Order: sequence, then C-alpha cells, then structure tokens
Amino acid sequence: MSKYPLRLALVVVLGLSLSACMKKKGDQYAGVDGDYVNGTPLGDRVEGANFFGANVARGKFSPVQFAYDSYQVSDAEQPKIQQVAAAMKASPGNLIVAGFTDDRGTDEYNRGLGERRAQAVRQALINDGVPAGKIQTVSFGKEMPADPGSGDAAWAKNRRAEFGVVK
Amino acid sequence: MKILRVLSTAAIFLPMALAAEEATITVKKGDSTSIAIKSFGGSEGAAATKVVQNDLELSSLFLLSPPERASFSVGATAGDGSIEGTVTDHAGSVVLRKSYSGSTRSAAHKFSDDIVETVTGNKGIASSKIAFTSSRTGHKEIYTADYDGANVKQLTNDGNISVAPALSHDGSKLAYTGYQSGYADIYLIDLNSGARNRIIKFPGTNSGAAFSPDGGRIACTISKDGNPELYTIGANGTGAHRLTHTAAVESSPSWSPNGAEIVYSSDERGGPQLFRISSGGGSGRFIPTGYGYCTEPCWSPDGKKVAFTIRQGGFSVAVLDLASGAVRIVAEGEDPVWGADSRHIIYSNGSTLTLLDTVKGRPTPIVSGLGKVGEPAWSR
Repeated sequence: MSKYPLRLALVVVLGLSLSACMKKKGDQYAGVDGDYVNGTPLGDRVEGANFFGANVARGKFSPVQFAYDSYQVSDAEQPKIQQVAAAMKASPGNLIVAGFTDDRGTDEYNRGLGERRAQAVRQALINDGVPAGKIQTVSFGKEMPADPGSGDAAWAKNRRAEFGVVK
Repeated sequence: MKILRVLSTAAIFLPMALAAEEATITVKKGDSTSIAIKSFGGSEGAAATKVVQNDLELSSLFLLSPPERASFSVGATAGDGSIEGTVTDHAGSVVLRKSYSGSTRSAAHKFSDDIVETVTGNKGIASSKIAFTSSRTGHKEIYTADYDGANVKQLTNDGNISVAPALSHDGSKLAYTGYQSGYADIYLIDLNSGARNRIIKFPGTNSGAAFSPDGGRIACTISKDGNPELYTIGANGTGAHRLTHTAAVESSPSWSPNGAEIVYSSDERGGPQLFRISSGGGSGRFIPTGYGYCTEPCWSPDGKKVAFTIRQGGFSVAVLDLASGAVRIVAEGEDPVWGADSRHIIYSNGSTLTLLDTVKGRPTPIVSGLGKVGEPAWSR
C-alpha cells in the first residue's frame, strides 16, 4: 500500500481526466488521422432547373438560419426541416437547397461554407426520409445577401439555406 | 631569367586587375543597384522609356541614378514594332544587347525583365498578366490587365456571377467559377483564341480552380460526394481524383512549385486553417500559424513561403516562412497572390488591387475605380 494514498489518488484522477480530454480532441481530428465516411453523394442535376429560373419556386419555405462560421443545423431550426421533408416526401418534384453566408469571411471560403450549409440541410432532409436523389445543392457564398446592411441582425439573416422547389 | 621577370611583373599587376574587376560589380540581392536610364531614341522612344522606368522602379531592385553614379546604364532605340535595347556596366562594357518585337509596351516589358535578370539574377515580373473580379457593370465579371494595371480588359460578359479566376503559369489559360447554369461550375478560357468551355460541372458546387505548375491539371473544390472536398482533375475536365475525405470545408488549393504538394484551407479543426497534402492524395497535415482564421493560401514560386489571408476583425495579408514556421503580417487586405520573383504579391482591399514588395514593404496601387475588385490571379 502506498505511503501517500491521497497523492496517488490525485495523480490517478488527473491522469484519467487528461486522457479523457485527449480522446475527445481525437474525435474532432478524424479527418486528419483517419478517414471520414462522408454524407450522401449527389445525384445528377435536373436539366434546366436553375435556382433563379421561372420553373423554381423560392418562396415556399422559410430559410434555415445558421450561427456564425457554423454549418450545424440547430435544434431550433429542425421544425423547418421537418416541414420541408413532409412536403417533399408527398410530392414528386425536386428540391434545390442554396447556401449563403454573411459577408465577414473571404470569398472562396464562403463559397465552401455556403455549400456545407446547403449540404447539412440536405443531409437532415435525407435523415427525415426524403430520397437523396431529389435534392441538389448550390452555394452563393456571400453573394445576394437577404439583408444588404451590416450589423448582427443583417448578418444573422444572411447566414442561411434557402429552398427552391422545382415545378 | 626573362620569364621570371615577366611572371613577377604579371604578379604585381594581376591583383590590381582583379581588384578593379571587383570594384565595378557591386550587386547584392536585397540591396538596390544604381542604374541610369538614358532617354530612348526612335519614334516610340519616349513611351518605351516611361514603361522601362516604371518597371525598374516597381521591381524594387534599383535606384534610378544619373550615369556618373550608376553601376549600369540602360539605353535603347524604340521604333514601330521593335526595341533595340542595350545595358552597359560602369566600365562601358555591354552586358546585354538584344532586340524585342511586339507592341511598344510588351517589348519594353520584355526588355525590363531582361535587365532585371541580367543585372540582379532575379526573375522579372514586367511581362506578367493579372486577372481579377470587378463589379463595375453591376455583375461580378472577370477582367484581365498587365501586372502594372495597364490594359484593363473585361474578359467575361456573363451578366451573372463570374468569380474565382485562376491563370496558368504561362498566362495562356484562365479558369473561373461561373453560375450561368444556376450552379457553380468551372469554365476554361483559352486566352489566345478566346474559346471557352465549361469543364467541371459535377452536381453541387465546383469552385476554386488552381492550375498545376505545368498547366496540365487543375486543383479545385468539388462537392458531388455530399461534402466540399479537394480534387485534382485534368485541365480538360477529365480524370477527377479525390484528395480529401473530411466532414469539413476544404477550399482554395494552391500547388507547390514542383507540383508534388498542395496547400489549402480546411475548417476541420473548427475555424479555417492551412493544411498541406500530397497532390496524389493522402492525409492533410496541419500547418500552425498562430492565427484562428486562415484562408486563400498561395504558394510562392520559389517554394519557400505561403501568403494567405487572416481575419482579426478586418482582413490582413500574412506570409508564412515554411522552413522556420514564422508568420508576419505584411498588409491590410485579402487574397494575396505571388509574382514570379517570389518577392512581390498582389492583394485586394475591396476597392483597390495593390502590388506590394514584401521585402521592402513598398505598396503601389495598380487597379482602382472599377467598383468592388477582388480575387486577383497572376501569371508567372
């Protein structure tokens, strides 16, 4: 039995908590050390279905909003996903999800971030049962803000994914 | 006996001759070389003189001096369609004598490049071209210009969103992201013929084209797998090869000068950071910079540095020394791109494109008054 049981216990506890921290960090870096099994591949685009075209209805569903620099679909936004999923499961048409950012990032990274937002929404819809082949994604980065102003309120409006229903 | 006398005489004079040689050549990399530019003769003399003067000033390698104090002198005769250029050293010996054909501007730029290379050993940037985006027409279109901001030309007329231009190193091809289809696709333009083709049009978003050093392949971001990933693809749009497999956003690839590696930005650690990966694929290696938001990297032609954008409130241009890992901030602005001399960069601050000598910190605005300008690309 150790002469200093309390100190030994302290060291053991510290050691355990440190290793727990490092394990948590390791999960975040799965993409560096290991492989990541990606989301669902996109099907072919529908010919002639342009997000800006007359045959795409853009006002049917509320856009999903995102936190700063994030592409996580928050719990608060889930009801919007469910509403879209219900409608698309019941309809034969296709859907285009368009991702946007606010203007506080650099151009090309924002195109990627907007796309990642659109694809996060697409994956949430797939998880809700919408067939993967019905959903296309496009990113406009910081182009075409919903609110051209500056400040937190405008920026929050611009961090979004919009829905276009192909008629 | 006679031979000994001759040899000893020679021995006395030889060191003097050698010392005299050393005194005339005073070129050191990083210091300015004094140079005189005599007014050029010929019908295009005045115009050509101005171009060469501006080029040598922008190179940051010279101190324009009167002939008595100059280590080198530049003279030329500039006629219609050709320039006969000469550079002499302080002793009057000719170190460069050559003819250059083409328009006055382009012939003068070629002469300037030869002056830089002959006198300093550095690569010249005077003949290079740039491409960039401008919202002048109300839509973002692609424009080209000379490196000094002359000859601005609108290249696309898409009336849509045309962005992210990239130039092949030899300046013959331009790739860009266009939204005419309603999606982000990559188009390739042959700048000599003007022919354009939509070469990368997978489902999802295709953007961020970067030419490999030999112009044969393009690195870019493609999201067809359900996530934006780094790919390389043949410059004709075939043979796509996936490099990354992460849940995160990969963007802005830039090739190393020997084509073996690619530096890019990925947010797999939370905020976007710099990573490097073999151009054949594999795992990306994180490049620590000390900053929390690092995007739009550009690998210098000499392979030693990466210029990139950081965000600390506003945007700043930073330069990473790969060997030491040291990072320094060189300007306020974004989207830096290296010139062929691995010394100058061009970056944007929203309304102006600026040419910056990263050694002496001298900035020169080269494009402004065209609305919002950005995303500069530079041939080498």
